[in-house]
This record gives sequence, structure tokens and C-alpha cells, in this order.
Amino acid sequence: MSAVITIANLRKQYSYAKRGRGLFGGFSPQHVSIEAVDGVSFQVERGERVAVIGPNGAGKSTTLKMLSGILEPTSGEASVLGLTPWRDRKALAYRIGVVFGQRSQLWGELPARDSFNQLRHIYDQDKAVFEKRLGEMVKRFALAELLDQPVHRMSLGQRMRCEITASLLHGPGLLFLDEPTIGLDVTAKAAIRDFIRDHARDHGQTVLLTSHDTRDIELVCDRVIVVNAGRVVVDQPTDQLRRRFLGRKIVTLLFNGAQIVLDLPGVTRRASDAHAVVLDVDTRLVRVEQVITAALAHGGVEDITIEDPPMEEVIHDIYASAVTTQ
Amino acid sequence: MIAFLRLYALQVGAAVRMSFADRANFALQVAGMAINNLVFLTLWVLFFAGFKSVGGWGFSDMALLLGLTMTIVGICGVAFGGYRDMAVSILRGELDALLTQPKGLISRLLARESLATAWGDLAGGITVLSLFAEVSLSDLPLLILALSAGLTGYLSAAISFACLAFWASGARSFARDLTDFTLLFSSYPGSIYQGAVKVVAYSILPAGFVVMAPVEMLREPGLKSVAVVVTAAMAYAVLAAGLFHLGLRRYRSGASLA
Repeated sequence: MSAVITIANLRKQYSYAKRGRGLFGGFSPQHVSIEAVDGVSFQVERGERVAVIGPNGAGKSTTLKMLSGILEPTSGEASVLGLTPWRDRKALAYRIGVVFGQRSQLWGELPARDSFNQLRHIYDQDKAVFEKRLGEMVKRFALAELLDQPVHRMSLGQRMRCEITASLLHGPGLLFLDEPTIGLDVTAKAAIRDFIRDHARDHGQTVLLTSHDTRDIELVCDRVIVVNAGRVVVDQPTDQLRRRFLGRKIVTLLFNGAQIVLDLPGVTRRASDAHAVVLDVDTRLVRVEQVITAALAHGGVEDITIEDPPMEEVIHDIYASAVTTQ
Repeated sequence: MIAFLRLYALQVGAAVRMSFADRANFALQVAGMAINNLVFLTLWVLFFAGFKSVGGWGFSDMALLLGLTMTIVGICGVAFGGYRDMAVSILRGELDALLTQPKGLISRLLARESLATAWGDLAGGITVLSLFAEVSLSDLPLLILALSAGLTGYLSAAISFACLAFWASGARSFARDLTDFTLLFSSYPGSIYQGAVKVVAYSILPAGFVVMAPVEMLREPGLKSVAVVVTAAMAYAVLAAGLFHLGLRRYRSGASLA
């Protein structure tokens, strides 16, 4: 395999003027520096699907912006497809696809087809090749009914399908995705994940994504890089991480009567009040289905919610483990 | 260059289609602006019915100035409508997605919107120039030069003001205010500006070079007046390009995000 992305000791420092206290505080600002990315190094091989995860402010989006040529680093080196992103931004743009979950590259008032057509000109694409690729995407992403619909009238999930299509129409070998499933419902998330994984696998495409959602990582990526406070905390295969940290579910049960006590291995009681109990379920030891069955057998259950643990908790566990190991 | 113009035409075409999408709203905005311009023109008609001349400017000179202003603002709004909210786009970080594409950064910012009201300005401008400005067919080449130079100056000034957003978050409304002040200065006879106000009108708010100098060029054609108009337009274009380039460097350094 050959490295598609190589970064070494990449740093990004922001500084801003913090207003002083009092009425005239604006005249005596303090200059504060933040290390958004603090010496990050890693390599990504061709065809790998890598997740960069971390809590808010960890530096994952900043890293992605530097790798796609948007931002220049304070120091350090990077090579993406043999190019230095911030120096060769335009040349690199032809070879990468970028999707921002919270920013659109489509024209809101126009039908998606018109946006795709404009991107064909921006990326100097041959019409026949472009039409062939669009045809494939329309088929695989079920876009036929969306093509002539103005983008601003689409649901978030539909729009994201169009955003990903737009980023792939010039046939990039490397795809950057920044929070691609943010704000989507469960069905839309599943469709996006399936598509990204299958498309990358079928085309030998390299994927680097950032996410807050542990399911994005489990279902799309084969490697995880955990960053915290601008540094790489863990870099390991998803399978390994899943076994250690991603095998938990949070089950919330609402009762209309007396609470129950579930004596099952791998079930830990978290916060609870008179009508609700929150359980931490270790799915390596007990299936969620078993926990629900036991709860229903007790009777009086009004509502059940099953969630993944918040990313902050997962990161905390990983971080604590990494510190202990060191 | 041809590829760039083709891409720009495609983007403007899309923006115009977007402005047509809500036809009732579009018609209302065009009619509203046309009426607004008509009322403004009527006020000047009434004014000149009483005073005949202001510092050497008669009604036809004023009509020429208003016609140029309306046409320039009209073309700008139709074909470069994104200039109005360019500062907001910069502050919202919309450049991120555009920077990942190989070309069309400034064109995408300018062609992201086509203003419906601008059609009212354009229609008003052409009407005023045709009926009241006392320009003949033989003036057409100079008129086109005046419009091109004025358009370049006005758009360049608006881009320069928007570029302040790379340095100051307060530029969100400030950039628009400065553009509106330029327009305001462009709506009165050039002869009323004296001293410091005249300096402002020929520098920071380039109304002087957008419409006043072009009016003088059309009234008293000559190599000198042509040179002044063309040089000023080019200078403002270079300034805008320079500021955008510097601002973009700052944006990509992350300094404007902190």
C-alpha cells in the first residue's frame, strides 16, 4: 500500500484579543493563544477509511481544513496525494472531494441537477464522463426524484445525499467528510453510512471523516484516530477500539409504578429518579434485547430509549485508558 | 478567460433563475424599485423646474447622473448581486466550501445572488438615459465606456468594503453602509461637493469616479477626462483585487476565524 496522506508534527495556533474587564476593557485587550492542533502526526494508506474523532474543540475539523488546503498550519508538514495542501490548493481540489455537514456547496434555490451541472464546469469535467458518474450516483443514492427539486426544499438527509454526490462527481480518489451525519435521523444516517462505505470499497477510495457519532465510526471506518486538545490520543483499528470502548449502550426505562432492579451481568445503573432508570449496558456481556425483555417482564414500563454513549464519555474512557497504559 | 466567462455566465444564469423562482415577489420588487426611482426622478424634475441650475448642473446633467447610477446599480445587482452580502458570506465561513473547489471563488461569491430590485434600477436607468439625459447615438461609445468604468469602480469599492470582513466582524453591516453611502453620494449633482466632502467623494466613497467624472467625460469629451475615468476604474479594481488577495491570505491563516 502507499500513503495517500502523510502529516508530521502539524500545528495550528489561533490567537485572539480577549476584551478586558470593565467599561473600558475594550481598550486593554489581552492576547490569548489556542493550540487547536498541537503536533499531530499520522499516515493514511490508499483505500483506508479513517475516522478522526474527538470532543468539540479537539482540533479534528481544523486538521481536516488544513489537509484540504483551506487553512495554512502554523508549522509542520503534510502531503496529500503527493501535494502540499495549502500550497497546491487548486491542483489538490481536482483530486479530492470535501463534504461539510453544516455547510453546503449546492445552490439552495436551484434544482440539484443545475448545481451538479455547474460543478461539472468548475471541475472541467467531460460531459460524457460526468453524465455516466451522475447516472451511477442517481441509481445508488436513489436521487431520481430529487434531481429537479430545489435544494432548499429537501430534507436534511436528502440534501446530504446530494452534497455527497456533488463531492464525488469529479471522481476524487480521496474524500474528506466533516460531520456528514450531523442532525440526520436514524434512517438517513444509515443510508449515508452505507453509501460512503460501499462507494469507497467499490472504487478503492480513501476516506477521512470526522464525527461525533460512534456509529459512523463503527459502520464506515476501519481505523480510528482519537484526538483530544489538539493531540492524537489513540490510533488503532476500529475492531480493536470496538472491543474495548464501543460496546456500550445507554438504555433509559420510564415506569408508571415501582422501579425494577435488573440483576444482569454487564448492566450498571446510572442516574435515576422516581419514574426513570438509566442503565449502562455492556453489550459484550449482555444483549440489549435481554435487558429489554427482563424489563418488560417486570411490567409497568411506559417508554424505552436506547442510545449510544455520548462521544465525550467514549473519549474520556479512551483517554483514561491511554494515560493508564502510558 | 473564455472558460472563466462561460462559467460566470452559467453562474449568473442560475442566480437569475433563482430570483425568478418566486414570480410574484420578483414582480413586486421590480415594480417597487421602478416606482421608487420614478418618485426620485420626479423630485428632481420639480426641483429643476424652480432652480434651473445647481452649480452649473442642469436637469439633463442630473438625469445623466441618475441614469448612469441606476444602470450601474442595476447591472451590478443583476450580474454581481452577491456583492451586497459578500461580507456576511465571509464572516459566516462560506469560503470554506468554495476553497475546496479549483476555481470560481470570487465569481461564486459575486454570482451567488441576482437581486430582483436591480431589474427595476436597470429599466429605470435605461429609460432615464434614453429620454432625459440628452445623449445622442454618437455618444454611445463614450456612454458605454462611462458605464463600464462606473460599474468597475462601484463594484470594486463594494468588494473592498466587503473585504473589511476579513479583519473585522463589525464589517457585516459596515460594508453595506459604505456601499449605500457611495450610492447616496452618487445621487446628487457633483457640484454640491466641496472641500473635505469632495475629497471623500473622490477617495473612500468613490462616487466621484463612479458617476461624476463619467458625466463630465460625456459632457466635455477629451483625452484627459477619458484617462481620468479609465485610470480611476483600474485603480479601484486593483485595490479590490489586492484587498481580496490579502484578506484571503488572512482567512486561510485562520486569523480571521479566531
